[in-house]
Amino acid sequence: MTENAIEFRALSQAFGNFQAVKALTFDVAEREIFGFLGHNGAGKTTTIHMLTTLARPSSGTALISGHDIVTDPLGVRREIGYVPENVRLYDTLTTWENLVFFARLSGLSDAEDRVSQALEFLTITDLRDRRVGEFSKGMRQRVGLAQAILHHPKVLFLDEPSSGLDPMGMKMLRDLIVRLNDEWNMTIFMNTHLISEIAKTCTSIGVLSHGQLVYHDTIEAVTQRFGDDRSLEELYLSVAPALETEEAA
Amino acid sequence: MLSTTTPVGAIARKDVTDVLRDRFIIIVMAFLAVAAMTSLVTGAIALATDVATYNDAKATLLALGKSLDSIAAPEFYPLKLLRGAIEQIEIIGAVLGILAGFRAAVSERGRQTLALIMTRPIRQWQFLAGKFVAGAVVLSVGLLAVFGLAAILLDFVSGVGLGASDLLRMAIVWVAASLYVIAFFAFTFVATLWMRRPANALLVSFAVWLLLVLIAPQIGDTLDPDNQVAGGVFKQLHVPKAEQQRIASGYATFETIRNGIEVSSITKHFERFSFAVLGIKDTYTGKPLGPILVEKRGDFLWIFFTTLGLTGVMFTRRLKSNRLTKE
Repeated sequence: MTENAIEFRALSQAFGNFQAVKALTFDVAEREIFGFLGHNGAGKTTTIHMLTTLARPSSGTALISGHDIVTDPLGVRREIGYVPENVRLYDTLTTWENLVFFARLSGLSDAEDRVSQALEFLTITDLRDRRVGEFSKGMRQRVGLAQAILHHPKVLFLDEPSSGLDPMGMKMLRDLIVRLNDEWNMTIFMNTHLISEIAKTCTSIGVLSHGQLVYHDTIEAVTQRFGDDRSLEELYLSVAPALETEEAA
Repeated sequence: MLSTTTPVGAIARKDVTDVLRDRFIIIVMAFLAVAAMTSLVTGAIALATDVATYNDAKATLLALGKSLDSIAAPEFYPLKLLRGAIEQIEIIGAVLGILAGFRAAVSERGRQTLALIMTRPIRQWQFLAGKFVAGAVVLSVGLLAVFGLAAILLDFVSGVGLGASDLLRMAIVWVAASLYVIAFFAFTFVATLWMRRPANALLVSFAVWLLLVLIAPQIGDTLDPDNQVAGGVFKQLHVPKAEQQRIASGYATFETIRNGIEVSSITKHFERFSFAVLGIKDTYTGKPLGPILVEKRGDFLWIFFTTLGLTGVMFTRRLKSNRLTKE
């Protein structure tokens, strides 16, 4: 039986009078690659901050692998990995030193073995003794991904993972995400505003507009409903502007 | 199982390595050492000249077959030469603390590594403690190097050897200096973590530095009625001691405010404590250490509790998520 990796329970966030995230209530099943699609400022990063326990919700909650983000943040942190947008790490330290540091913070007794394993999985063993400060955006992103998977988290959160990557880098990252899902059984929660990224990687999709979930279904269902390769774009354009019109009215 | 101390140690170790490789703080520390040593060497050369003059006079008398009783053996106090070094620590040491505190926080905020750390199964206090321990270690070891260098230079340049008591006094002042600099580190670190814009935190820290290090201690001196004429008003007017006290009692409120401004500054407490322990201030020159420590314990406790308080404040507030992302 498939369990839920993430359960949203009226998860909300307000900044003063501004409601950034509005009572999100839906589930993401285990081993899904979930694409969270939305325009800039839709509330995607705010949602990921709450799910990764970086921010406390103003109301509601969510469960990550059964751990409540409000009442059991440490339990949540043991189950998750997080790669923020434009991850940079410590420029003066080598890849190895950076990763061993994060492995120790995760409480891994076999920190060095885990780092070696992550480097091999991501095929970046050649970066091991180089300082992160010398790296290109794509290299940093892969080291950033390595720090997030050292402890084999059940759920991996990626915030705009392909932002600023060239086509080759994006392809490489997509392949890694699929492999992590397939070989390490990770549930992936990915924020993005790139429709093509979702179409090529994800198994399910949620569309967020002005803090509200306006669509949630599997990619399969989306394709069946809209019928062709442009289905996601059509879907997005059909749901997001509709909400804006409603609000304006 | 994650032990409580492991994350603190890992963060502290990482930060020390980062600081050593980045070199910025090391360069500022070297600047402090050069400034302190320059003032010390200048004084030490003058002292060495006095020692040489005395030795020449002694040799001449002995050569003439005369008794040494005709010239009194002078007492040399090499620790008095540390006055300039202490003043440099007061000013540049505080700047060093501010820069180290700013760097410790902004390096995590700007790189988004703070968010990576805070999504690990560690508590906020462990992160803060790790950063604090690293800052405290770097600053106190740096100051130890400055004091060590000063001890070596005093010995070599002045020609007057330092005894165990002198080294003990220097060690005590090193502890006070470390606490003093760490107070500025803690304040700036907290401000940089909490304020919306890190650059504003740096401005606030330097405003506090200006107030506590440069203005408040000077207000104390410049508003002292007796300091309004070179050599002292009372002395110049030949006012007897009893009359001085009677006149001063008429200014009791003013004097309370003046002294209050002065003692509100941690810098003044550090200066009073250091000058007394090292015998830089004439009142304490040549006096035994024990009674000085008893008399000046208030100044030391002020420094200690200010540092402790600022460190405690660090742990009182939850970090906001908008402080965890890039600027």
